[in-house]
Amino acid sequence: MRGKHWRSLLIGTSLLLVGGCASSEEWNTWRSNTSHFASKEHYDFSMKNSGGSSASVTRNDITMAKNQNWFGRPVTVAQEQILER
Amino acid sequence: MLARAILGLTAAATLALGTNSALAADPPSDRVLQIDRYTSDKGRALGQKFQGPLRDLNAKVYHCMPWLDVKNEGIGFYKPKHIDGDIRYLSLNAIVDQQPAPEFTRLSVQERVSAMFSRYVPHLLRSMATSDLLKEPALEGFTVIVSWLKAEPTGGQPPVLETAAAFMPKPLVADYLRGRVGITQLADGAHVLAWDGETKLGNVKPKAWADDFVLTYKVAGYTPDPRATCP
Repeated sequence: MRGKHWRSLLIGTSLLLVGGCASSEEWNTWRSNTSHFASKEHYDFSMKNSGGSSASVTRNDITMAKNQNWFGRPVTVAQEQILER
Repeated sequence: MLARAILGLTAAATLALGTNSALAADPPSDRVLQIDRYTSDKGRALGQKFQGPLRDLNAKVYHCMPWLDVKNEGIGFYKPKHIDGDIRYLSLNAIVDQQPAPEFTRLSVQERVSAMFSRYVPHLLRSMATSDLLKEPALEGFTVIVSWLKAEPTGGQPPVLETAAAFMPKPLVADYLRGRVGITQLADGAHVLAWDGETKLGNVKPKAWADDFVLTYKVAGYTPDPRATCP
C-alpha cells in the first residue's frame, strides 16, 4: 500500500516536470528576451491596463510601441535608392 | 484572399509596450518633405502648392492606419529614380508594422508583393489622389512604397524588411479611382520594384485582388482622433 503511494507520487512528479517545463525552444525565446517588460513605459502601460476589461489605447501608445523596437534597427532599402528629391 | 490571420499586426500585439502622455497626438511633421529640400523648381512648386493636402495625407495615415509608419520625408513629390527627366510623382513611403506569420513567410516574393499591393496600394491611392492633384498638370503619377518584416528575427540578427515600390502613371490611377479599370489592370499597369533588405530584386509583376483589410481592421481599444476623417 505504502509502495503504491510512492509510485503515484513519482509518476505525478514526473508528469509535472515533463508537462510543466519549458521546451528548449521556449527557453531560447526567454534567453533572447531577458526582460519581461521592455521598458518602464511598457511596465506602466501593462499596469494601467492590468484589469480584465479591454485596454485603452492611444495613438501615442502605438507610436511608443513602435519606437521601442526590441530587435534593433531594421535592414531595409534607403529611400534614396528608389526616389530622388 | 490573403487571410487576415496571416498578417497579425505588431501594433495590436505589442501595445503593451508603453505609453507616454507627454507626446503630442499630432503626426510628426518630419514625415513630409520640406519645400527647401526639393532639388528642382518643379518639385518645389508642387511642394509649395500642395503643402496642405500633404499635411492632411500625413495626418490621415497617422490617425486612421496607426499600424503604418510613414518614413521620415516619406511623403513628397519625388522623382522616381528609374525614370529619366524631372518627372514628379506623389510618393508615400511607409513601413507596415506587422508580425510575419509562417504562412506569409512561406509565400514567394511575388506572392508577398501581390498581397501587400492588394492590401495597401488601392487604399492609399484613394487618400493620395485628390481631385486637385489629379488635375495638376505638373504631377505625372503616384508612388506607393511599403516595407514589411520578412521573417521574425532569430539569434540576435537584425530584422530584415522587404520593400515593394509601385509606380503608377496618373491617367491609370484616375481611371482606377473613377471605376474605369479594376484592380487587375491597376496592377498590370504599375511598375513594381522589390528589395530584400538592401538588395534589389528588380521588377515584380504583382497579381492583385480586392482586400478590405484596411477598411475593416481595428486596433483593439484604439479610437482615432475625432479630428481625423477615417473611412
